[in-house]
Amino acid sequence: MGFGDISYVSRDGSNADGFSIGQLVAHLGASLGDSVSVFGEFSATAKDSEYSFEVERLIVRYDFSDTYRLSAGRYHTPLGYWNSAYHHGAWLQSTATRPEVVKFGSKLVPIHFVGVLLEGTLPTPELGLGYKVGFGNGRHGNIARAGDAGDINSDKAWIVELSAKPHKIFGLATGLAFYTDEVPLPNGLEVEEASVSAYVAYSKESPEFIVEILHSAHELVTDSSVSGDVDAWYAQLAYRLPGEWHQWKPYARYEHTRVDDSDPLLGAEGLDYDGSVLGMRWDFNHYAALKAEYRNEEFNNGGRENNFRLQLSFALAKL
Amino acid sequence: MRSIFKSSWQATLRVVMCCVLLLAASTAAAQETDESSTIAIVVHKNSQVDNLSLTELRNVFLADRQFWPDNTRIILLVRAPKSDERDFVLNRIYQMTEAQFRQYWIAKMFRAEVPRGPKIVFSTDMALDLVVAIPGSISFIRADEVTDGVKVLRVDGKLPDDTGYVLK
Repeated sequence: MGFGDISYVSRDGSNADGFSIGQLVAHLGASLGDSVSVFGEFSATAKDSEYSFEVERLIVRYDFSDTYRLSAGRYHTPLGYWNSAYHHGAWLQSTATRPEVVKFGSKLVPIHFVGVLLEGTLPTPELGLGYKVGFGNGRHGNIARAGDAGDINSDKAWIVELSAKPHKIFGLATGLAFYTDEVPLPNGLEVEEASVSAYVAYSKESPEFIVEILHSAHELVTDSSVSGDVDAWYAQLAYRLPGEWHQWKPYARYEHTRVDDSDPLLGAEGLDYDGSVLGMRWDFNHYAALKAEYRNEEFNNGGRENNFRLQLSFALAKL
Repeated sequence: MRSIFKSSWQATLRVVMCCVLLLAASTAAAQETDESSTIAIVVHKNSQVDNLSLTELRNVFLADRQFWPDNTRIILLVRAPKSDERDFVLNRIYQMTEAQFRQYWIAKMFRAEVPRGPKIVFSTDMALDLVVAIPGSISFIRADEVTDGVKVLRVDGKLPDDTGYVLK
């Protein structure tokens, strides 16, 4: 199984409009008996003069039961909805682009997590309660990356997520996650990071909505007076049209990110953001979609920009 | 006069008998139609499960539940597209369109929540053969095509023949 996308992008004042190959993603999965499975996800991303190859996920899992599944490897950090639900599958998401807070290479959210994860569903079929508890390396020196080859300090990251998919409102998913880590800075100091994320998503398409919020607090370990917060949220609404128009899905999203200038980890990064997206998705095939998207956005209070994107996304799958 | 009365009485009797036969035939046909449009949930003969609520059944079909109570892994067998049984189950259990069903499973596999997608079967015979052969398997077939080699599950406490069975 895999995913891929090809886009045409036009930006305000840019001389570099044109076509771009997005990510080509391949999945490998195997069951090593009834209880043990291996899952791998690999991506090739087009850069200016080369492709970068990445092991996005590698998970070896032992399923004791529905309630207890223990795994080790590299994950999409289960902090919030988008990062786990869509990540590299552009075809899976209604929109052409990802919210800025969970974009590829985001520093706001630890996108990947390397370690062990215990997860499962609780025996509550009406409520569909689930949990994930993870223990791992946390952020790397390059804070946009996970510590793939080992942690850079002895303080490990923890994540706990609780989720619910109530049967009575089929298609609704909600979740609350907490993440904590200590992140070394280049100057040798360490920042304590604590993030809380919550989401509500309804995926029945008519309508479809996702609301996700993130709050992070960063504080110098040696001086608690040096601290700052991050607040980010987005709300996305889509609607699969009825009848003979069922291949069409208009959508819109608003997103906002604010980072305190005093934040010792992210304050100097200029990550304030405000953006709106309006688009239309056309599923002309069971495994391929064309999306046309207009985006108006402002980075770090630097004036608003417009861009237009036409994206062809597809899934390599057969069901 | 008497013979005319007798013959008309006989004609009336014949008409009534024809009506009764037609009514009986149409009732039988209607019952056959009901039976053929009823879906039975079938599992391996040795399964310890006898009954699932509709909620539990939906969780099994959505792979939100992947193990039977005896910790046998559930193997879901789903009919290939363009079969009446698949359309029925997508409509009544999954509450999804064909496109949503595909996207659901691709997303499920993408998130590594399941080691594999459902096994696709291309006929009732194939579904029955695999349910007989694979412990832990579960599938759905027309109620009038159930054989002795499989076990029919109650759904919300009812079998396909029972009044109020939800998968009719």
